[in-house]
Amino acid sequence: MAQDGSREAVDPLTVEVARVTVHTAPVATEHSRGPVARRLNVTSSGRPDAPVLLFAHGFGCDQGMWDGVLPHVTPDHRVVRFDLMGAGRSDTSAYDPVHYATLDGHAADILAICAELDLHDVTLVAHSVSTMMAVLAAIAEPERFRQLVLVGANPYFLDDPATGYTGGFSAADLAEVSAALDSNYFTWAEAFAPLIMGTPDTPDLGDALTASFCRVQPDIARQLLTTMFGTDYRPLLPRVVTPTVLLQARADTMVPPSVADHLHAQLADSTLVQLAAVGHCPHISAPAETAAAIRAWLLPAR
Amino acid sequence: MRDYAELWEHSPGSHLLLDDDGLITAVNATFCDWTGHQATALLGTPFPRLLPVGDRVLYATHSLPQLVLTGRIAEASVQVTGSAGQRLPALLSATRVATGPGTSETRVVLVDAQQRRRYEEELLLARRRAEEARAQIATAEAELAALVHHDSLTGLLNRPGLLRALRGRLGEAYTDRADGAVPTVFFLDLDGFRTVNDDLGHTSGDDLLRVVADRIRSASRAGADIARFAGDEFVVLDDVPPSAAGAVAGRLVDVLAEPVVLHGVEVVVHASVGICAGSVPPDADPAEAADLVVRRADTAMYRAKAQGIGRWEAHVPGSTDPATDRLVLLEQLRSAIRDRELRVHYQPRMQLQDGSMSGVEALVRWQHPARGLLPPSEFIDAAEESGLIRELGAWVLGEAVEQAVRWDVTGAAPGLQMAVNVSARQLADTDLVNRVAGILARAGLAASRLVLEITETALMHDPEAALRTLQDHRSLGVLLAVDDFGTGYSSFTYLKQFPVDELKIDRTFVTGMTTDAGDRAIVASCVHLAHAMGLVAVAEGVEWPDERDALTALGCDQAQGYFFSRPVPAAAVPLVLAAVPG
Repeated sequence: MAQDGSREAVDPLTVEVARVTVHTAPVATEHSRGPVARRLNVTSSGRPDAPVLLFAHGFGCDQGMWDGVLPHVTPDHRVVRFDLMGAGRSDTSAYDPVHYATLDGHAADILAICAELDLHDVTLVAHSVSTMMAVLAAIAEPERFRQLVLVGANPYFLDDPATGYTGGFSAADLAEVSAALDSNYFTWAEAFAPLIMGTPDTPDLGDALTASFCRVQPDIARQLLTTMFGTDYRPLLPRVVTPTVLLQARADTMVPPSVADHLHAQLADSTLVQLAAVGHCPHISAPAETAAAIRAWLLPAR
Repeated sequence: MRDYAELWEHSPGSHLLLDDDGLITAVNATFCDWTGHQATALLGTPFPRLLPVGDRVLYATHSLPQLVLTGRIAEASVQVTGSAGQRLPALLSATRVATGPGTSETRVVLVDAQQRRRYEEELLLARRRAEEARAQIATAEAELAALVHHDSLTGLLNRPGLLRALRGRLGEAYTDRADGAVPTVFFLDLDGFRTVNDDLGHTSGDDLLRVVADRIRSASRAGADIARFAGDEFVVLDDVPPSAAGAVAGRLVDVLAEPVVLHGVEVVVHASVGICAGSVPPDADPAEAADLVVRRADTAMYRAKAQGIGRWEAHVPGSTDPATDRLVLLEQLRSAIRDRELRVHYQPRMQLQDGSMSGVEALVRWQHPARGLLPPSEFIDAAEESGLIRELGAWVLGEAVEQAVRWDVTGAAPGLQMAVNVSARQLADTDLVNRVAGILARAGLAASRLVLEITETALMHDPEAALRTLQDHRSLGVLLAVDDFGTGYSSFTYLKQFPVDELKIDRTFVTGMTTDAGDRAIVASCVHLAHAMGLVAVAEGVEWPDERDALTALGCDQAQGYFFSRPVPAAAVPLVLAAVPG
């Protein structure tokens, strides 16, 4: 680490970030301060008067997932991010296992953010488990959203031979996934240990720190994972009226290609975009390509 | 130059290199020896395929993003699938480094972690069990709390429920109220209820109580707390301006004066009402203040009843003070201790499983020269309030412990547990533990043979102090029981912390359990709660065989009551023991 703490000197975090070549340019971020914003660590960047991009991160990580995409969209958007309850710097003391027993609790959080920040005509970019929260939110308040961008979406992870649907996992797999989370418990608990350097007084530092931790509260993650694997969200898809873009990477461990086709067929106004990137998190492994795909399909203001 | 290629192949750890897409580009011999895989078969395949599905999901969603964002992951606990499908527990660490513009390499090390994984699994299992036990206790608490504060016959509050409501209202009584309303207790007693019960039977009696409850409800404001206090006693608690209290009482008297038709028979019951407003000093203890207000309303009710049926009376400050009577009683009690007029009787306690006698509870009696043998209810309260209880309690404790030793020595009733009651005042005495230790040492009785019974109310009076005292006694080896469980106002948060060994379920619930589903549910909850907390459940006041059978069916551990034996003098205990099977 750097030998002196002067802010004028090279920030050790910048060095770290630069080494893994995620940030192409530093992005100024400010933390919003309403009760919902505090609870879910809502941060804003970009141009306050520009169209709104709301980013929802996926299972197992936090809003830092979007760091690489951010510089590509901040010059002409108001970018709002948050941490799912139980992830990152969300206030887990507000966690209520009953409220979050289904994804509806999380979807309500997304709508609460929109209401508190008075966001309209929102383009909601969601990854992994958040894609179904986005679907729920768009069904509940269609007038709120201009467009959905779903990255690595899967409405039902289990295979359903009766309907010829291949979600990618068997019932036995489901039990194994839950057990694996248990066996990783101590690793996860360590990841959620209190931040050593970040303090609420230095939010600019805090944002970078969040990205470097991928903090997840293990007990909450366990419930979210069980919900996400155990629930069939396919019946919701025909009810979505919001225009939707589906981004599908190659060799996504979590989403077989047939699932993307299913989504494309079931979502009335949808576009399926195939990425060259590999894996479940193209926005992390190939942020430039992912950002370009998002930009290419963004709808103009209504 | 050292041959680092050899070191790579045979390093103590298993090593792999992955390209940007997560495909394996190199793997060392240690990994192949450990897993049985062939290096050539692995090259070019995705690394996550070596992990079972669960770990693969977590690797994709958590570890990989972390690796890309931070450059490293450390000691993720995973399993690696071997060539024969076997699962090999391992710790996975990895770093990701740039190898050129836009390209990078991931370096993975896997360390065999069989032992560590076993420990982790044990820890997790223990954690999940603890969580389940916590959840069970929470459920039992919630059920019990609902049950203990309501009367199952009428759905009204019961005595503890009403006292709790009254304490709450008295606590708020000094906030300014524009209308001058104060919390006021209306104590109702039915005139002639016993006649109905005796003439028409219990079912009609119960029906009448339900009708009365409905009428009181209809005559009271929505915000009032209404309770069946005991038998045919009801209490209405409401915030009422003093000038309006008489009108409220009058309305209650009137609605109850209307005839009730029970199974074709017209019955007229009247109520006598006593009123007391809760004007207590702000610094008063709310629990004591609540008791006092109810007692005063009760006394006022008796004055009303004395004047005829269907009347009400309000408490008059300064009216007949029972304090004078108490002073006389205390003086007599002091000399009674000196003149050896006190006796200890012993009530056997039985194991429900096999019917054997496990111990006795020591109960003090006063052989009063003029009034005969007095039960503790006649004098304990006065002793407790005056502080005389310390002397009295010490004497009972010494006598009981010595008696246990005498039974051991003579062989008449050896090895019995000796349970002795400890009052709130004694509990607050910081010297109690030394006194108990001294008595045990002098008599030569093992500490584990002594059970100190402390009422729930005494424990909750000052839970912090009680906790310390209990811990002191626990280190001495003495067993601890919560007495009269269910009648107090337990904060379960504290109860869980108390190092107690037994819960003694109050007799009032046991008495009702074979006829009243509510009481039965309370007893069941108490037993359940005791077992969830790892405590012995003891039922008091068992009088009938069906009560014993019901308790046995509920899994209750021990019981005492007239069904087994009343409290008897020391000399009679061996006789009871001889009559017991086993």
